[in-house]
Amino acid sequence: MITQPHHVPERLALLSGAAVDTFLTEGLLRGEQVHSGIDLAKVAEPLPEDDARWWVEPIRSLVEDAMFEFRNERTKADAWLAPRLHATLRLTRREAADKRLWNHLALAVAPDYVVWRHLSESAQRVAAERFRGPSDRQCFSRLWWAAEIFRNGPDYGPVETACGNQDLIHTVLRLGLLDHRPTAQAVVRLLQDGKITTGREVNGLSVAINAAGATLIYDVLAPDEPRDPARLRDWIAEAETAPPVSRHDLPEGPDEDPVPEESLAALTDYFADLFETAPVRGRKSED
Amino acid sequence: MKIYPYKRLSRPITLRVTSVSLKLSDGTRDPLDTSAYSVQEQAVALGVAGHTDWVSATIGLSVTLPPGADAPDAAWSDLRVLAVLTDGETNVRTSTALTRDTEGSHDWSGYLEVLRDDHLGRASLSAYAIGTVDGVRGRSITETDRSWVVDTVSDEPVRGLRLDVRKASFSKSSREWLRAYADAPWLVDTTARVPTVFVNTDIDGIVGLLDSNGSGVDSKVRDLLVAQMATDVWTAVFHGAIGDLEVEPGGGPVFPTDWQGEVLREMLPDVVPGVHVEEALRQVHNRRTGDSGWAELQTRIHYAAVRRADAAKAVGYMIRSLERTNRENET
Repeated sequence: MITQPHHVPERLALLSGAAVDTFLTEGLLRGEQVHSGIDLAKVAEPLPEDDARWWVEPIRSLVEDAMFEFRNERTKADAWLAPRLHATLRLTRREAADKRLWNHLALAVAPDYVVWRHLSESAQRVAAERFRGPSDRQCFSRLWWAAEIFRNGPDYGPVETACGNQDLIHTVLRLGLLDHRPTAQAVVRLLQDGKITTGREVNGLSVAINAAGATLIYDVLAPDEPRDPARLRDWIAEAETAPPVSRHDLPEGPDEDPVPEESLAALTDYFADLFETAPVRGRKSED
Repeated sequence: MKIYPYKRLSRPITLRVTSVSLKLSDGTRDPLDTSAYSVQEQAVALGVAGHTDWVSATIGLSVTLPPGADAPDAAWSDLRVLAVLTDGETNVRTSTALTRDTEGSHDWSGYLEVLRDDHLGRASLSAYAIGTVDGVRGRSITETDRSWVVDTVSDEPVRGLRLDVRKASFSKSSREWLRAYADAPWLVDTTARVPTVFVNTDIDGIVGLLDSNGSGVDSKVRDLLVAQMATDVWTAVFHGAIGDLEVEPGGGPVFPTDWQGEVLREMLPDVVPGVHVEEALRQVHNRRTGDSGWAELQTRIHYAAVRRADAAKAVGYMIRSLERTNRENET
């Protein structure tokens, strides 16, 4: 298994998709050989220097701790790393949608983590999309977006729950139905209450929510509050002075209002009913 | 046509943008003039005034419901109208309730807030009429049939996909990856936010040619060159989009939510004519991932690209221009 590149940059940068291919070698995808980092540094586009958010060290130390802590159960690293990565790398959604940032993180800063987390035991290979791919596939952006979509205001608790279910963050994220914040929180609550547990159940529920959503507008059943952009900005500005995130306790996210409890309760009940009648692979009908 | 298990209105909602203003970072507001939006294109361009420091945009909306929405014998009650903004790139969904203009009117209006931090490029704006039908709350009774495009960057309200054209010396560019292509006159990058053509300024005279205007042969050669580049772009973008398709578990391929989706929807009717775009996408995906038929499809992909690039027109004008020059030389 590879280690980090010989030269790890001090600051995050942008790496264009067209420049990625040179470094995405067969050796790297097999987890056998990594570039030295020097040539990559030449093609990366720097980010503004006066912004403390782009220091690499806090992220590098997070992924090293994750690899140590979860050395025997790497899929469990997702639920631990997602909230901590999100609270360390404080971004607006606009910034997080720039794939070049994630390319750089995966190729220049922590290729060893990508290989450690995603090397397929059967194929002995990492899928290239884990380095450079859609936001719900790429090793780090999928975690950041899962944290962003599942956090309830400052509370990362739901993120931990959601990331503990691979099907939820692997297949359901891309359907777009979780973009409605109360919907995302209602799905997590069903997981927390033990009403749904297995990946098949998660998939069955998401298909049912999606199908019903073709004729139902969930925004009416469960209205959300408008967001105040200043709260997120303040939290991002605090990155300048924020200490490293705790390895034991969950960090706190931006001080935004949580989903209104009334909306969350109404939607949770509604989904629970929907799930009762939803076809789930492997579930026997009881009547 | 979709079949619904309840009564709906058969005609769509008409949605219009009536005003746009930006809130700047110093707290002031800049109302944008009507050049910021186009009713015909159904597009809003928040970049028209050249501000880079805006915090949010307030878009004034007006909606007209089709006849029958307020019929006394309608199957629904508790009628509401909602404007919804979605962005597949940033997973944002914002909705706002509109209010009826006057008692008994078919027109509803309101304002939608667009946060700058929430979007990188384009978002999509639509409207829904919602009611309680047969005791079920939140049913959509009718909606807009074509959503508006809200572009947070563009300075011109156009719907179609815009290319980004950048000039750079490939051998000396700070984009070091371009150096490997120093002998190419142009390159297409489909991995950027919008497809980008890099024009290599190392090729003597290429910039002058591309910037030429007027009616001489120069400008016809330029148009031909642009058509050639555009053909390359459309072809590359199509292949890029098809290569990145996501497949639903146990289902078919899904349309991408960003500009790649726009490109596919536009080109597929030429690539696989006569079928619905969803079916066309499925067929193309099967051909690429299946055993055969991918090579055969290349001609159709090229055809779709050539049409979009207006190559026939450029060639036609070029030939006529040459004929005229030759005739002038003979006399």
